[in-house]
Amino acid sequence: MDLDLNVRKEGDHSVLEVAGEIDVYTAPKLREQLIELVSDGSYHIVVDLEKVDFLDSTGLGVLVGGLKRVRNHDGSLQLVCTQEKILKIFRITGLTKVFPIHSSVADAIAAPAE
Amino acid sequence: MAAEADAPATVRLAFPPEARLLGTIRLVVGIVARKAGMGEEGIEDLKVAVSETCAVAVGDLNRAGVPDPIEVDLVEAVDRFGIEVRDRAPAVAADPAAADGEVDDRELGLALVGALVDDLKTSALEGGGNRTSFWLRRGPQEPGGLGVRPSDPLGDPDRDLPPPLT
Repeated sequence: MDLDLNVRKEGDHSVLEVAGEIDVYTAPKLREQLIELVSDGSYHIVVDLEKVDFLDSTGLGVLVGGLKRVRNHDGSLQLVCTQEKILKIFRITGLTKVFPIHSSVADAIAAPAE
Repeated sequence: MAAEADAPATVRLAFPPEARLLGTIRLVVGIVARKAGMGEEGIEDLKVAVSETCAVAVGDLNRAGVPDPIEVDLVEAVDRFGIEVRDRAPAVAADPAAADGEVDDRELGLALVGALVDDLKTSALEGGGNRTSFWLRRGPQEPGGLGVRPSDPLGDPDRDLPPPLT
């Protein structure tokens, strides 16, 4: 079970593409990547979850932690996801009210920072 | 022999408390649940629920330094699919990682399980440890698979899952 992370810059945003399964075993890798991005001065982050097959509460916690970190720098963390099974996890936990969730990276980048 | 044929089909797994194995458990649960006729949404819900439950057990056992295996029963009944997770972890304090400015994964995980499945029950095992069980009913869009029988041979839809091996 792997978690693949790929970062690219698009204007002011860093786009973090995540592929694989995010659980208690792999989530630390995502956490480290988010910490590294913020440490390097990337405060507007788009996390693309379109290639994520599985997401658990540890992954949610890591994303919430990332959101807190960018907000400390008046930044933003936006999500891209259209998969119903993943969106369901966000809805059940009420995190759709916390994260802006978009249907494409372009929409996420175009959205105003909240 | 007829009584055996009508008994609920149970697959029993045991694995050491290692987080890297959670993906394997999810994989097996997905295969067994699909073979039992669960629909795709139900299968995904079961995978999340069993993974969250097992992740809590893995964390508790590791913090306590207990290497005992975690047992998982997958039970196929007439109109639903049940899972029971048992571990030998003693009562432990909350995960200190939750103080890392992030949410409490344990509480969030258990809340998630409660929202996804039916009849979530938790209890202490005799001699130490925890038992967590839940069911997921087949929805009307889930017609059932190989194991579906016309009536429940056990009669009581609220029966508990079978006892673990000793």
